Amino acid sequence: MIAQVVFSLLLGTVLVYAWAEYRRSPIVAGLSFVVSLLGFYFVWVPSHATRVAELFGIGRGADLVLYLWVCISLIVLLNLHLKLRTQHELLTALARSIALANATVSAEQARHPGRSRSSVKEEQT
Amino acid sequence: MYQGRSVVPVMQSYESTSIWVVCPAYNEASTIVQVVTGLRQGGYQVVVVDDGSVDQTHQLASAIASAVVSHPVNLGQGAALKTGIDFALQQGAEVIVTFDTDGQHRPSDIPRLLDALTRNRVDFALGSRFLNPPRGMPRLRRMLLWAATLFTVATTSLRLTDTHNGLRAFTRRGALSLRLRQNRMAHASELLSEIARSRLPYVEVPVTIDYTAYSMAKGQRTGDFVMILLDLLARKLYR
Repeated sequence: MIAQVVFSLLLGTVLVYAWAEYRRSPIVAGLSFVVSLLGFYFVWVPSHATRVAELFGIGRGADLVLYLWVCISLIVLLNLHLKLRTQHELLTALARSIALANATVSAEQARHPGRSRSSVKEEQT
Repeated sequence: MYQGRSVVPVMQSYESTSIWVVCPAYNEASTIVQVVTGLRQGGYQVVVVDDGSVDQTHQLASAIASAVVSHPVNLGQGAALKTGIDFALQQGAEVIVTFDTDGQHRPSDIPRLLDALTRNRVDFALGSRFLNPPRGMPRLRRMLLWAATLFTVATTSLRLTDTHNGLRAFTRRGALSLRLRQNRMAHASELLSEIARSRLPYVEVPVTIDYTAYSMAKGQRTGDFVMILLDLLARKLYR
């Protein structure tokens, strides 16, 4: 019973995490959501877990729950990786702004200044 | 020369001052002077994007390039290209050429790309080393590039023979249509998928790649292709 409550709390946390992540990464959130619900089901109806586990050739229901937990961990890890990428994109934008603001141009080029950044942005939109 | 998609009129000819060559550079002190000098002799405006080099790349480039833009930290070739393209657009470039600084490209190929842009009235002229039989290319690299080409054809429907060639030319309209987010190795594949998304016309142009020990050492490694696939997959998963 204690293990069931602990697992449920952990799975509940994953569900909240999936809900919070939905706007940013619907695929990762959807996967987390589905796997967590499956986890809930098998934690509280272990006899079904054993039956499904046998169906997949795993053997014990407890092992199936453990495998589900590993799946959840990998999905969360993937999401963390994606979040790091987002942070890196922000860092890139910042570094690019600094680089463009501090560009050094040759004397010849300085005599023929180009367009402003805002006019380029307007063109891009 | 292969021409893709329907023909849409763009500018007929370009002034040399409106042609900007973007050269991403990371620790290229040994080749940067020769590469930029060759480009300047062709009459092109050259912007070197120093991608956080720790050698003399910045100082050497400052003496000969039209402009030098420096990333405060190393971000990757894709990020450097995007920065250079943004800078060239700010300067009013009508044509933007991307050119590697490891010495594998020839400035003499640029007029052919520019000619292809105007003659075929396309927005992208993409260099291909396979339209003429390549010489000196290691077999493993040839196989990897072939696999990359298959992948690109399957995912973008572009009909190309060389998907990882750093020598390309875009019109201003073409450059403005690109939304580049990949900082590192996957930028070449991303650029092609952006060309496909833009639905602007493109053409492939034969160019020559000079394989030297230096350019081979600086180039992509076999394991990089796995990272490219992961990066492209990650982009699809995340908004």
